[in-house]
Amino acid sequence: MKNLVLLCMLFTAVLSAQENYTISGIIKEAKNGETAFGASVFLKGTDIGSISNEYGFFSITAPKGTYTLIISYMGFENIKQDITLDQNQKVNFEMEEESTQLDEVVVVAEETERVSLKKPEMSVSKLNIRTVKQMPVVLGEVDVIKSLQMLPGVTKNGEGTGGFHVRGGAVDQNLVLLDEGIIYNTSHMLGFFSVFNADAIKDIKLYKGGIPARFGGRISSVLDVRQKDGNSKNLSFTGGVGLISSRLAVEGPMFKDKGSFLIAGRSSYVNLFLAAANDENRLGFYDLNLKTNYKLNDNNKLYLSGYFGRDTFKFGKSFKSSYGNASGNLRWNHLFNDRLFSNLSFIYSKYDYDLEITDDEFDWISSINNYNIKYDLKYYASDAFKLDFGMSGIYYDFDPGQVRPTSETSPINPLSLDRKKAFESGLYVNAEHKITDKLTLQYGLRYSGFSRLGGVAMKNYANNQPVVYNSTLGIYERGTEIGETTYKKGESIKDFGNIEPRMSLAYQLNEFSSIKAGYSRSAQYIHLLSNTTSVTPLDVWTTSGKYIKPQLSDQYALGYFRNFNNKKYSLEVEGYYKTTDNRIDYIDGSNLIGQNTIETEILNGEARAYGLELLVRKNEGMFTGWISYTLSKAEQRTLGGTAGGPGINNGNWYNSSFDRTHDFSVTGAYELNDKWTFGGNLVFQTGRPVTYPNGQYQYEGQSVASFSDRNSDRLPAYHRLDISATYKPNRKPNKRWKGEWVFGVYNAYNRKNAASISFTQNETLGINEATRTAIFGIVPSVTYNFKF
Amino acid sequence: MNIYFKLFILFLAMSLTSCEDVISVEVQTAPSRLVIEASLDWEKGTAGNNQTIKLSKSTPYFDTTTITSVTNASVRVVNDDDDTEFIFTHQGNGIYTTTAFIPIINQSYTLEVVHEGETYTANETLTPVVDIDNITQSIDGGFDDEELEVNIIFTDPEAEENYYLYKFKRQGDLLPALEDGDDEFVNGNEITWWFEKEEDDDTDEIEAFRAGDVVDISFFGISKAYSNYIGILIEQSEGAGLFSSTPVPLRGNCINTTTPDNYAFGYFRLTQVVKTSYTFQ
Repeated sequence: MKNLVLLCMLFTAVLSAQENYTISGIIKEAKNGETAFGASVFLKGTDIGSISNEYGFFSITAPKGTYTLIISYMGFENIKQDITLDQNQKVNFEMEEESTQLDEVVVVAEETERVSLKKPEMSVSKLNIRTVKQMPVVLGEVDVIKSLQMLPGVTKNGEGTGGFHVRGGAVDQNLVLLDEGIIYNTSHMLGFFSVFNADAIKDIKLYKGGIPARFGGRISSVLDVRQKDGNSKNLSFTGGVGLISSRLAVEGPMFKDKGSFLIAGRSSYVNLFLAAANDENRLGFYDLNLKTNYKLNDNNKLYLSGYFGRDTFKFGKSFKSSYGNASGNLRWNHLFNDRLFSNLSFIYSKYDYDLEITDDEFDWISSINNYNIKYDLKYYASDAFKLDFGMSGIYYDFDPGQVRPTSETSPINPLSLDRKKAFESGLYVNAEHKITDKLTLQYGLRYSGFSRLGGVAMKNYANNQPVVYNSTLGIYERGTEIGETTYKKGESIKDFGNIEPRMSLAYQLNEFSSIKAGYSRSAQYIHLLSNTTSVTPLDVWTTSGKYIKPQLSDQYALGYFRNFNNKKYSLEVEGYYKTTDNRIDYIDGSNLIGQNTIETEILNGEARAYGLELLVRKNEGMFTGWISYTLSKAEQRTLGGTAGGPGINNGNWYNSSFDRTHDFSVTGAYELNDKWTFGGNLVFQTGRPVTYPNGQYQYEGQSVASFSDRNSDRLPAYHRLDISATYKPNRKPNKRWKGEWVFGVYNAYNRKNAASISFTQNETLGINEATRTAIFGIVPSVTYNFKF
Repeated sequence: MNIYFKLFILFLAMSLTSCEDVISVEVQTAPSRLVIEASLDWEKGTAGNNQTIKLSKSTPYFDTTTITSVTNASVRVVNDDDDTEFIFTHQGNGIYTTTAFIPIINQSYTLEVVHEGETYTANETLTPVVDIDNITQSIDGGFDDEELEVNIIFTDPEAEENYYLYKFKRQGDLLPALEDGDDEFVNGNEITWWFEKEEDDDTDEIEAFRAGDVVDISFFGISKAYSNYIGILIEQSEGAGLFSSTPVPLRGNCINTTTPDNYAFGYFRLTQVVKTSYTFQ
């Protein structure tokens, strides 16, 4: 691997031995000093150009000469500057907002969201936070995760459930990063709100496939969310007051203009209503985002960011619970020279929950801690060749559960499940290589390693079978324990290593269109255990190890991209095929709670998904928006394997519960005038696969249902319409206070979408009936947002 | 322990959901199977000689009319050690009885049912149960602090893993309530198992316990295998919500030795049971 890096460097050193010079720098927004991610920088009349990175940095190398440098960033005035390249130079740029635009309203899609024909990057969904803020939302709370579902290939298991699914993948197969810190639970209040406070967020990027080699550890997607740096010019406030929650963000310069800070907080106030209504129950959430940066000098900059979020529930005197994520990150941007950019990150993140059962006087706690160090470098070798490389290490400490009696009189005995410790490492190199003007390749390799660490005793099983098929009864049972092996602290129980090639290409057919293709392999070493329809905040993660193998996924994608009418419209069509090995599946009647020997409850299965995605966008004008359609299939199969027997569901392929045949949505925004903007979403989805009864019989004086094969039925189709209107009262151009009213109606025609259908015997009539649970009917909302 | 998680999630979901209604749904129909309800329960303090086995057929899920009794089978149970045979004879309506059964704690027995040329067998061991120490009522326990609940208090034996089945039926109610439990987190402790009726505010059809209500209580000692079976049965009969496990085809211990795929629903269980009733004050 090292040799490869050296070789590439050497290769590019030779290339740059011609009379080439480099211009590099940082691009920022003039108004608030926020770095611009995704601004395009190019030399007029050539193909030479670059896109600014997450930290606003760009670097262009070109032969000696005189050029016109053009920087464009949607919503901002283009910068045109004549430059003479006769030496390496460093220039920083500040972008002024377009004067034709009123205030901060942007009715055109951001450049970063548009189709880039030349970049081999594909299967990526980008949303600028301004676009997200324009979309109608439930209860007036801007929600990043819900907005992503309006894009092709992203679905959610209905309302009231956490997480999201990408291209037929499970919730735990998404790597969710907030300023590089891993977020284990993306939702507040069981999926009603996302953990991302829109006021603190700069942009969102979702990799659905073709995941760059610098990311690893999850096989389905990477959701890369970046927080704002904070206004480095003026002290400013942003906030909003809604029906359910309120938020406030403060940002401003500090350290004598060498840095800036951002503090954003959000809290629900349902509890106040409950208390006022004399209700004993409590439910609520809050979160806090922090970010600050400090510029040491032109080549060194430090960033410190943090997130802390929590949900709290209390049900009478019976239950109390709280759960949430916390993460902190220290980053050091260092510029070795004008072509070699580096970032070193130290990241800590944590997810934990606490469930207190007051009646029986005990506490149940569980947590995940991880410590992560990452070093990423980007070498802008030449216009035709750019190289990313780096490494990372994550130390995991899982505490799957502890029961602690809270009093002397508690009837419950204390218990601690075994802590699980593991180390995950990654080493990668990735090249972006322009072969010709029309053909660009991206090729890379990631090597990932994983060690499950000792300090624990592991059970052994007869014939090495933690699960055994009982052929007489036709069921899977736990294997026979035959003693245990104790592993010393620091000793490795099991090691894994995988080479993950990632490659893609873009071939530009003409000025308007290109085709792209990609292949990627990825490995996932930690798994969320959940045998319920939807994941819950109380589900626990487990590591690969002696009995659980890492998930391995291969994905192939092919796409066609086109711009129309001078980029006014764009079209993206992508097909994908994805296979996953070692997907955990659960034996019938598996018991995952308080389970120390998870291996006795699961079998290793496989999954496959394929689909066709279509996205048409209108990027400019009074009316902007997009239409998204996905046709797809997601299935899984689990054979008996070493446990014997036919496997789960008789070893037949069955629909994953996140399979959606059709997923169609329309999202639009219409700017009527300076005062009024309207938004709308329309969603239609095939119903979720579920398992319905296929018969009944009398047992113990009641009717008992027998059930069909796994997921062989479907809920009714899901559809709804949301609308919103934003009103900006007349205001003087120079007035500091800017307010707006957002009126919204979620599920405007009051469709009772089934979150679940439950089959029970009516207790008074004795007949069987199907009961539909619908979570949201029509939900109107009003929010007031302000800025000063 | 599971029960706490389930209840917590149920409460969480309930607190957030807004609307439930009964709708009509089309379901698949599987071919009918034989149902063997062979529950040989030895009530403490009795000889346990009288035992009943019920045979019926499964029907389509929403069917309310079909007569399901199986009247033409031959049924017998054998003591595995001394080969004593107990023949169950048909009494009408698919009910087969014997008056000669000899229950022995921890003894294994084999059931044999022959129906329409196919032989079904099952094997099970009679599981004992401890006595109930006390039964009380209270109002501030349970989930609803305003409604009455009944508490069964007993002492779990420390030496082995124990599995319990509780059956509560208020006199006058149509359906019994079944609950299952084990001693995983409470081994050797005094256990208080409470039961209350959740009032249905929407329909007013189900009422919480009131003074004067009489509740019949059965407290069974069950085998681990039966505990797995009845646990899934109970969970699935509560209906499949968002946070319940995916329902599974439930297989009991009655296997078809003639045509294995044509297994029977139901279970051959052998338990010791304490039966009592409690009148709310």
